[in-house]
Amino acid sequence: MTGEHGHILVVDDHRTTRLKLCLGLKQQGHTVGEAENGMQALEKLRTEAFDLVLLDILMPEMDGYQVLGKMKEDRILRDMPVIIISAMDDLESVVKGIELGAEDYLPKTFDPVLLRARIGACLEKKRLRDQEVDYLRNVTRVTDAAAAVEAQTFDTQALADVADRTDALGQLARVFSRMASEIYAREQRLKQQVQQLRIELDEARQARQVAEITESDYFQQLEAKAQDLRQIIDGQG
Amino acid sequence: MSKIISLHSFRGGTGKSNTTANIAALLAAGGRRVGVVDTDIQSPGIHILFGLAGEQVSHTLNDYLWGKCEIAQTAHDVSSCLGTDQKGKIYLIPSSIRPGEITRVLREGYDPQLLTTGFRQLIDELGLDALFIDTHPGLGEQTLLSIVISHTLVIILRPDQQDYEGTGVTVQVARKLKVPNMVLVVNKVPDMFDTAAVKAQVERAYGCPVIAILPHSEELMTLASGGIFALRYPDSPVTALYRQAAAVVME
Repeated sequence: MTGEHGHILVVDDHRTTRLKLCLGLKQQGHTVGEAENGMQALEKLRTEAFDLVLLDILMPEMDGYQVLGKMKEDRILRDMPVIIISAMDDLESVVKGIELGAEDYLPKTFDPVLLRARIGACLEKKRLRDQEVDYLRNVTRVTDAAAAVEAQTFDTQALADVADRTDALGQLARVFSRMASEIYAREQRLKQQVQQLRIELDEARQARQVAEITESDYFQQLEAKAQDLRQIIDGQG
Repeated sequence: MSKIISLHSFRGGTGKSNTTANIAALLAAGGRRVGVVDTDIQSPGIHILFGLAGEQVSHTLNDYLWGKCEIAQTAHDVSSCLGTDQKGKIYLIPSSIRPGEITRVLREGYDPQLLTTGFRQLIDELGLDALFIDTHPGLGEQTLLSIVISHTLVIILRPDQQDYEGTGVTVQVARKLKVPNMVLVVNKVPDMFDTAAVKAQVERAYGCPVIAILPHSEELMTLASGGIFALRYPDSPVTALYRQAAAVVME
C-alpha cells in the first residue's frame, strides 16, 4: 500500500461490472486484480497481497457470503477489509454481510464519490491495522531477544531491522542490542581469557617455600614420628 | 577401616569449612557415623554451620589437649541437623572460641601424639566410619600433623593464581609426608569457566585427581554460614557435586 492508494481485488461474475469497477479504481490511482468467482477470489488472495476486496454476493458456485466466511476462517485473510457491492440491497442481506465481517455494504447502483470515500476509509483502517500488527510483531521480537539473552542464544544481529525504526520501540531495540552486544563481547573476552588461563607455577619460588617448611625443625621431627603416628591412628600403636 | 580425611586450603576463604560440613553431613545422612574435628584452632568456625552455639559447648578440643577432659567428652552430637529421619550420626569436636584459650594453645602448642591418640579414641569410642579434620589455612604445625595422620588429604582451591601457587606448595609438602591419597576440589568456579578444561588443567598441573568442580553458587553464598547447604537443598546440582566428592573420599 502506497500512501492512500492500495492494491484492490475486484470480485464479480459480471465482466462489465468488474471492468467498470477496475477502470474507476485505476483512475483513482489504485492497482487492481480481478476474480470472476469466489474460488478464484480465494486463490488470488492466497497468492497475492491485496489491501482491500470489493466483493459481489450473487455469484455461481461460491457466493460472496461463502467467500467472506472462508476469509474469516483463514488466519492470514481474516483481517483483510471487504466492501460488499451487491444488487441485493434489502436490509437482511446488508445485515448478514456486516455480521459476516464486511466493512461496508454498497448497492450496485453506488455513488462513485461514496465508494471512493469508503475505499479511502478502509485503506486507512488497514494501514493503521498493519502498523499495529507490525509494531506488536516487533515488540515480540524484542521480548524474544530478551529471552534469548537469558538463554545465552542471542544473535547480535537479531534486532537490526527493529533498531532501524524511528519510534520509541526502535530506540529500545537499539539500546537493547548495544547493551546485549557489549555483554556478549565482554563474556567472549572473559571466555577467551579463561581458555587461555594457564596454571603457571613459579617453580623456583615454590621450591623455596617448600624448603622453608620441610627444613624446619618441626617438620623434620614430624617426619621422623610420622610412622609412629600413623600406627596410632590405624590402631597398631 | 575408618578413614581420616583432612580438608585443607592454602589460603582462607576458599570454602573449606563449608565443603567439610557438606560432605560430612551427606555421609551421615546416608547412614554413616561421622566425626568432624575443628583443628582450625586459630579461627574456629565450623560449629556455626552445625548450629552449635558457644554456650552449648561443654568441652572443646583445647580442653582435651590440656588434659582437662577425655576426648569423647569433646564430641557433640549434632545429628539433629540431619532431620528427623536421620540414619547416621554426626559428631562435632569444636575448638574453643574463647580468645584467651586460642592464644594459649598457639603459644604453648600441644603434643602431636596426644592429638593423634585422641583421634583414634574418637574413632573407637564413637564407632566412626570417617573422621574429618577441618584445618587452618596455610601450612602451620597443626596442618602438617593433620596431613601426616590422614588417609586422604582434600585440598580446596579457587581458580586463581594465588591459590594455584599455594596448592603447588601444599601438594609437594604432602608428598614429602607420604600422604596415601591426595585429591583436589576446585571451589567457587565462575559460571563462564569450562569445568572440563579447569579439571584437566588442574589435574595436569598437580598430578592429583580433581573430585569436584564446585560453581560459585548464589544459593550457597546466600546460605553462607547459616546452615548446611546440601541438607537444605538436597536436589541442587551443587549438592550432587558434594555427593560425588563424598563418595570418592570414602572409596
